[in-house]
Amino acid sequence: MKYSADAGLVDYVRQELVPEGLDFNALRENRIAVKINAADAVTIADRFVNKYKARLIHETAVDLEGSGFEMVYIYDFSMLKERLVVVLEAKIPKENPSIASIANITWSASWAEREIHDLLGINPIGTPDPRKQFLPYEWPNATESGTAPAQPEKGEKGVKDMWIPLGIAPKDSYATLIPIGPYHPGVIEGQTVYVKVEGETVVSADIKTGYHHRGIQKLIERRGYHKGVFAAERVCGICSPHHGLTYVTACENLYEAEIPDRALYIRSLLLELNRIHSHLLWIGVVADVIGWKTGFHLTWGLRERVMDIIEAITGNRVNYGIWRIGGVSRDVSQELAEKALKTVVPLKAEMAALLPLVAAHSVVQSRLINVGPLSQAEAFDGGAVGPVARASNWKIDVRADNSPHAMYDPKKINWQVITDDHNDTFGRTLVRVKELLVSSDIVAQCLEYLVKNAGEVINEPKMIPVNSEGIGLNEAPRGELVHYVRASEYNNNLPQAYRIRTPSYRNNAVIPKMLVGANLADVPVVMGSTDQCLACTDRVEIINEKDGSVSSMTWDQLLAMSRRAKVIR
Amino acid sequence: MDPLFTIISIILILPISLVLGVLYSFLIRKLNARFQWRVGPIIRMYSDLSPVIGSTRIWQPLYDILKLMGKDTVIPGSAHKKLFVYSPYMSLIFSILAIFFIPFPGMPLLSEIPYSLIIASYLIIASIMFTILGPVASGSPWGAIGARREAELFLVAELGFVVSLFSVAIAKNSLSIWTLASNMESLPAILLTLVAGTTMFVAMLGKLHIKPFDMPEAECEIVAGPYTEYSGKLLGTYFLSKVFILYAMVSLFIAIFLPPFSSGFIWLPLYAVAAVLLIFLLAVVQVLNPRYLIRKALLWYLKIVVPLAILSLIVAFAFVLGWMVV
Repeated sequence: MKYSADAGLVDYVRQELVPEGLDFNALRENRIAVKINAADAVTIADRFVNKYKARLIHETAVDLEGSGFEMVYIYDFSMLKERLVVVLEAKIPKENPSIASIANITWSASWAEREIHDLLGINPIGTPDPRKQFLPYEWPNATESGTAPAQPEKGEKGVKDMWIPLGIAPKDSYATLIPIGPYHPGVIEGQTVYVKVEGETVVSADIKTGYHHRGIQKLIERRGYHKGVFAAERVCGICSPHHGLTYVTACENLYEAEIPDRALYIRSLLLELNRIHSHLLWIGVVADVIGWKTGFHLTWGLRERVMDIIEAITGNRVNYGIWRIGGVSRDVSQELAEKALKTVVPLKAEMAALLPLVAAHSVVQSRLINVGPLSQAEAFDGGAVGPVARASNWKIDVRADNSPHAMYDPKKINWQVITDDHNDTFGRTLVRVKELLVSSDIVAQCLEYLVKNAGEVINEPKMIPVNSEGIGLNEAPRGELVHYVRASEYNNNLPQAYRIRTPSYRNNAVIPKMLVGANLADVPVVMGSTDQCLACTDRVEIINEKDGSVSSMTWDQLLAMSRRAKVIR
Repeated sequence: MDPLFTIISIILILPISLVLGVLYSFLIRKLNARFQWRVGPIIRMYSDLSPVIGSTRIWQPLYDILKLMGKDTVIPGSAHKKLFVYSPYMSLIFSILAIFFIPFPGMPLLSEIPYSLIIASYLIIASIMFTILGPVASGSPWGAIGARREAELFLVAELGFVVSLFSVAIAKNSLSIWTLASNMESLPAILLTLVAGTTMFVAMLGKLHIKPFDMPEAECEIVAGPYTEYSGKLLGTYFLSKVFILYAMVSLFIAIFLPPFSSGFIWLPLYAVAAVLLIFLLAVVQVLNPRYLIRKALLWYLKIVVPLAILSLIVAFAFVLGWMVV
């Protein structure tokens, strides 16, 4: 299958969407890159979000080394034109870099702006929440020669009151503040949620991430396109194939990719099998959080059978390692497909019988209904994605709107997007339970295709051009996942910049809003309801607070530290 | 009865109750595991492993406690030291004292004395009180929240516990457990056993922290709850007192509601069957339910247990006033 671009779209974007654009560049597959003045970013954002109801997918910045920074705004226009994604690019100077914040227009930019400030030192002027995102709050501001960013003024109305109920650092904490994390039995990964409680009722909450920095983005920028596939898979252990495929989609987006049909079906097959196992895992975790060990063991027992199918197909349980740019590395033989089909069909019947029973349990319902409410408007403004958004009755699914390079064509595969109007944790549970069944349908259809047809699974990779940009979008089990690759200006094998925006990055940002008014016992349930997966990026630096000098640590030094040996400097 | 026999049986009941309490905990764990597609503590160890770790794991709950006894005990600086250290021991002492007042087949122990029902229920309450006091003294916020939940749950569960015990006492006109336990059931008394026994069973769920009433031990919400700051011997002592409380609750239930299984030695097989059935029911409830929120548990109690308790009182008074033929 070849992905083509609509030729007339550049004119449409030039005349209709961004008249103030300086330079228009049609990328592949209806992605349009527009160069703009940094001063226009806010007015354009206002028009996009409020007039066209476009969605900010991600905001990031690229270090152009000698010639300054480039701000990159990625907007989703798929509801206006098929697969249309507009990439706005604004250059800003290296000295005292700053840009007007758009987080007041759409809250979904807030975390991104904090991250840009953390990692590149670009100051978002007027951002409602200028605190550190991934770095500790107390981290010295090396990039700004020691000056701390302005703290938010108290008493202002607007975005701030809606989304930042608790503007405090740990040092300002009081007796009523309960830290859930960094490591807490209810949440598997490291993060801190500060909840302020009166009795057992949460009156205010705040979230702090940044405990998982592994530097994967930088790693891929240094390794070349083909090795990057394997690094990208290791972003997350649960949705690893989604990260791998999104990276591959972004890279295929850089050139005129043509992918064999059989490879597309294998990709869909593995993505959906992964979604089944991930959703089963989530139901188990939530059952465990509400104290129902039996539900945990039942769903994880079902999940183990899905893992067996995955292992039979790819040889691995977690990181499949079969994605390649231009196809997949390993075929699913017709016998294997037939065997897998025989396992999937009874598994689906079992899930269809069991899971609605779980959802109908009266104590389960009493723990989930009206817990962690999130209305559709809040979901849109906060930038929620995936099952969290769909449970707020917002029909958003990347597979339908802007599908990745896998087989989700409604003409060939029969499936539908699940939504629910409960607007709470129970709705999120129902959405995931129904999605499981839809996913098993897709899996069965893919396997049927693989049984009946034969063919190639990979095309010879082409030379990846310089000066190009690729965007990979995918619906991971937790929601919309974005990988943005910008090809180097001179090197055919190295990306200049590579950015990941995970779904939890968005969903975690709305957690404090959902927590307010909950019982303390519900806090882990609400946190779990977004199915968090905290994959972040950073490098290790040691900053001497007294003189501001920066030194890096080598791998050996870290190893020595971890073994409590003498650190050699 | 002969004072010498009483003293001998008091000495004998200690190992008996420990063994039975451990067996009951093992049974709950094993049944839980089998219901959840797990293996659980292995009854007959695999032949290749048995030379290394012994031929059975039936005593696993006891091994867990013994392991804790050999660990270091950490006392947090913020704790009220005396209360923190003595609470587990007091809890253990009261739970052991309680079992002296509850009969075992062939051994009346101290249950013959006139007010043994009141004494036994107070001793059980005292043991639970010290699982609240110790955590409060620990100075940990999780311990405080856990203790608070324990106290709320205790207040809630106590109602059903007391009403069900005393409706039987009212009907049979005695406060001595031995009299209640050796009184043969007549046919209409089964109605009372059903109503009051159900109330008592629900109260047991709260006292033994069986789901859906295990909020004090909800590790996903409040870490280890009351036991957050406890470690080593002190934690082991708490767990040991829980084993004794489990035995005490089961044997009290059988003594009050299933007479005469606790009276003569010949009833021992039926006593065992009743105990296993009771444990089985507890395990089924434990497996089938997630955890309630504390306020929803309270509402549930108001809706279900309070009418049940009132009903059992009405039935008891019906006996006294002779509306039914005893």
